[in-house]
Amino acid sequence: MDSIRNFCIIAHIDHGKSTLADRILELTGVLHTTANAQVLDSMDLERERGITIKAKSVRMPYQSRSGEKYTLNLIDTPGHVDFSYEVSRSLKACEGAILLVDASQGVEAQTIANAYLAIDAGLEIIPVINKIDLPMAMIDECRLQLEDMLGLPTNGALLISAKNGTGVPDLLEAIVSRIPPPRGSPDEPLKCLIFDSYYDSYRGVIPHIRLFSGSLHCGDRIMIKSTSKVFEVDEVGYFLPQITPCNRLAAGEVGYVGATIRKAGDIHVGDTIISPDYVETPAILGFKHSQPMVFCGIYPINSNDYGKLTTALEKFQLNDSSIVYEKESSAALGHGYRLGFLGMLHMEIALERLKREYEQELISTMPSVIYKVVTTRGEALMIDNPSKFPPTHYIDHIEEPIIRARIIIPNDFVGACMELSESKRGTMVSMENPDTRRALLTYDLPLAEMTTGYYDKLKSVSRGYASMDYELAGYRSGDLVKVDILVKENQVDALSFVSVRDSAVPRGRALIHKLRKLIPRHLFEITLQAAIGGKIIAREDIVPVRKDVLAKCYGGDITRKRKLLEKQKEGKKRMKMVGSVEVPQEAFMLLLKMEE
Amino acid sequence: MRGLYIHLPFCVKKCSYCDFYSLPARLGSLESYVQAVVHESCRYAGLSFQTLYLGGGTPSLLGARNLRNLVGGIRKSLDLSNLVESTIEVNPESATSELLEAAKEAGINRVSIGVQSLSDYELQSVGRIHNAAQAIEAIKIARRIGFKSVSVDIIIGLPGQSWSTLRKALETLVGAGIEHISLYCLSLEEGTPLEKSPPEDLPTDDMQAQLFEQARSFLLGCGFAHYEISNFALKGCECLHNLNYWRGGEYVGLGPAAASHLYGRRFRNRADLDAYIERPDGITEDVEELNARDKASEEAMLRLRLLVEGLDVSELAARFGQDNIEPLISRLDHMAHDRLLVFDGLRYRLMPSRILTSNPIFAEVLCF
Repeated sequence: MDSIRNFCIIAHIDHGKSTLADRILELTGVLHTTANAQVLDSMDLERERGITIKAKSVRMPYQSRSGEKYTLNLIDTPGHVDFSYEVSRSLKACEGAILLVDASQGVEAQTIANAYLAIDAGLEIIPVINKIDLPMAMIDECRLQLEDMLGLPTNGALLISAKNGTGVPDLLEAIVSRIPPPRGSPDEPLKCLIFDSYYDSYRGVIPHIRLFSGSLHCGDRIMIKSTSKVFEVDEVGYFLPQITPCNRLAAGEVGYVGATIRKAGDIHVGDTIISPDYVETPAILGFKHSQPMVFCGIYPINSNDYGKLTTALEKFQLNDSSIVYEKESSAALGHGYRLGFLGMLHMEIALERLKREYEQELISTMPSVIYKVVTTRGEALMIDNPSKFPPTHYIDHIEEPIIRARIIIPNDFVGACMELSESKRGTMVSMENPDTRRALLTYDLPLAEMTTGYYDKLKSVSRGYASMDYELAGYRSGDLVKVDILVKENQVDALSFVSVRDSAVPRGRALIHKLRKLIPRHLFEITLQAAIGGKIIAREDIVPVRKDVLAKCYGGDITRKRKLLEKQKEGKKRMKMVGSVEVPQEAFMLLLKMEE
Repeated sequence: MRGLYIHLPFCVKKCSYCDFYSLPARLGSLESYVQAVVHESCRYAGLSFQTLYLGGGTPSLLGARNLRNLVGGIRKSLDLSNLVESTIEVNPESATSELLEAAKEAGINRVSIGVQSLSDYELQSVGRIHNAAQAIEAIKIARRIGFKSVSVDIIIGLPGQSWSTLRKALETLVGAGIEHISLYCLSLEEGTPLEKSPPEDLPTDDMQAQLFEQARSFLLGCGFAHYEISNFALKGCECLHNLNYWRGGEYVGLGPAAASHLYGRRFRNRADLDAYIERPDGITEDVEELNARDKASEEAMLRLRLLVEGLDVSELAARFGQDNIEPLISRLDHMAHDRLLVFDGLRYRLMPSRILTSNPIFAEVLCF
């Protein structure tokens, strides 16, 4: 076990994590060519967006310069602010972390956030300055930032270029010399952490595990600590990165276990696996529990697909345990689910994955945060769906979640960032200068502003240079109102939204205007209204259609014309009925798009 | 009742809105085409027809000799002794006395003239190759030669069209004594030049609807009956050939892209002139045979286009069986209750206010 090193790479997005992983895999001989770049990013979506979403692990053999043989386990981590839960889970499986900083960019907001997570987890941190081959590399500045912002000793920082391989062999040496080997004994009772899992349609749920004590063989019986469910192990192994079965896994090792776990709900990522002979073995604690902050409703486009959606969500949650969901139904959209996400990017990626990998045709509704609605009776209701708000006259006041955002931004854009943040109801907490060319701004902002494109706007006002990280910082009372949307006098629950009172009218108007363009003309007039309580704040009408007729219907055209009508009707099946009005699915996602 | 349609896929120039199968610059193939049609007609040897319709394309491009050969040729195999109506579509610029006299001699008793508009600006804007004066001249020639019935096609929604130009056209046509008018709303068919670059003064759908309503009132005032969604006629001058389509009757289509409905099956020839000339009886495709229930629904949809005659479900029951039309009747009753249809105890008819918005009703009749 002394020869095992479990480590991960943590970095701000685009600081070169996946490239470094590839280089390490090549140097250890696990990967032979650079043709198949970025091995750990196996989901299409990850490669497209250039970000790593799911943690995975690879085992590598390594012989040090002194001739000793080691087994390195590289555990990949996601790099975006929304995924700190997954990062902390991966960190829990390691003894050390490579903190990667792009020499041309310097320390960014997520560098700080990830470094704090690693420090909290008690990991040995190896600071590494990457991209030293770039002409804009600012090595000395990076050193200073590491020291000033994170308190990391600069003499320990390694200089590398993951792209051309410079310094990577020294990094491997540092991994074996500086990161401690795992502790724990194979002779103690079994205890391992599930830090990831995936679903295989033939073999069921396959947990990725890190053993802290004990060992695992084929035929062993295992128990899931949280559910007390017992399974028989039918395979153990590790990733090379392809799946590779072996005879046993022992304390300190990283791998997977197959145990014919059929039901997605039987295990959860973050659970501890123990031996049923030692049920008193304590669970592994200490990694942050995910807390969903953004919610939206999802509904199958075709209501008959509700069952399929349920199955897909069960499997999906297995792969992404930070998703929470519960049943929800909407008068307009039928039966669906309310999903909770860690943040906006998490939401976008999760919805996209559900669509692509799980082949679900979905309508997703406007994202919402959890509001604390205090009633006139003094009750505090936590509500994640505006349509569930109590009637206006029962509401004493509404509180909304506030986040504390750390923004690192070049000095030139500080003004624009302040202007944006203030327009988004932010209050500045502090402003520091980590180096001569950048500022570190700390703002308290309503989380709801994150759902309406704050981050995208921050990126655009800073020409992409700003980086941001945030954490929940409590609740604050706000002058908030719920706006309802009525289509031909029927309230559309899925379109209700919460707004600051001052902007409720313009937002209501804008939404009604967009709806008017989106909802096709019907054979009757349709009135669209936005209302606060009983008061109408915006109205537009859709005039009835006057022409919808097949001309020249004779001769052989009949078959073709019939098919034309059929197609027309088919299109309507994809619409959702609000009373007698057919509303296209896009309408339910309008609010989101409108804010962009 | 059985109709015979002959497609003549030839044009001097394609109009910018046209998506029918018709080819410009193929006039050199006319003679071999006539032979091919005569050849194809042998497939239906012995069948008797009550109506004949030469459509296109531009049938008037046939010329007198080809027209004689064509009608003479098919008479050899088909039984045309009971024809009650024979129509030829003509374009104003090629509707010469010589051609129309030859048509008369060949037994044709009805002329349908592609007038489209009596505004030269409107005609030019969609690439028509004739002017208003030529159209009026064609009507005069047809009248003089003495056809039983003269019909004109008028397009609603041409670029620059207004009620004033349309009314003037209708007044002139009614004054010229025509018995039948087809009013077609212009539609932008996919892939046509008009669809690719619609002119700025193209009337909107709403304007088309308005124009149609105005034209309808005008023609009703002149004693025309609005007997089918796109067709108006003086009493007794309805187009029998087309009525047969809407009554679910049988018909045979000769020529590429021509469709047939025979022995319960619908089928069509492929739209390929060269393949057709090579093998006139070898390019049939898209054979469709609906079950009784769908067939009854289809016929109900067609018959509801007949605004005066309407739909008598007892006729359907006799043909398709009461069981097969029960669900249809319940849908019709439902729509009558919603005032989309009018039911007088015997027949269902479209509510007049729903003529231009009948697609959803038809879709419901077809019950997809």
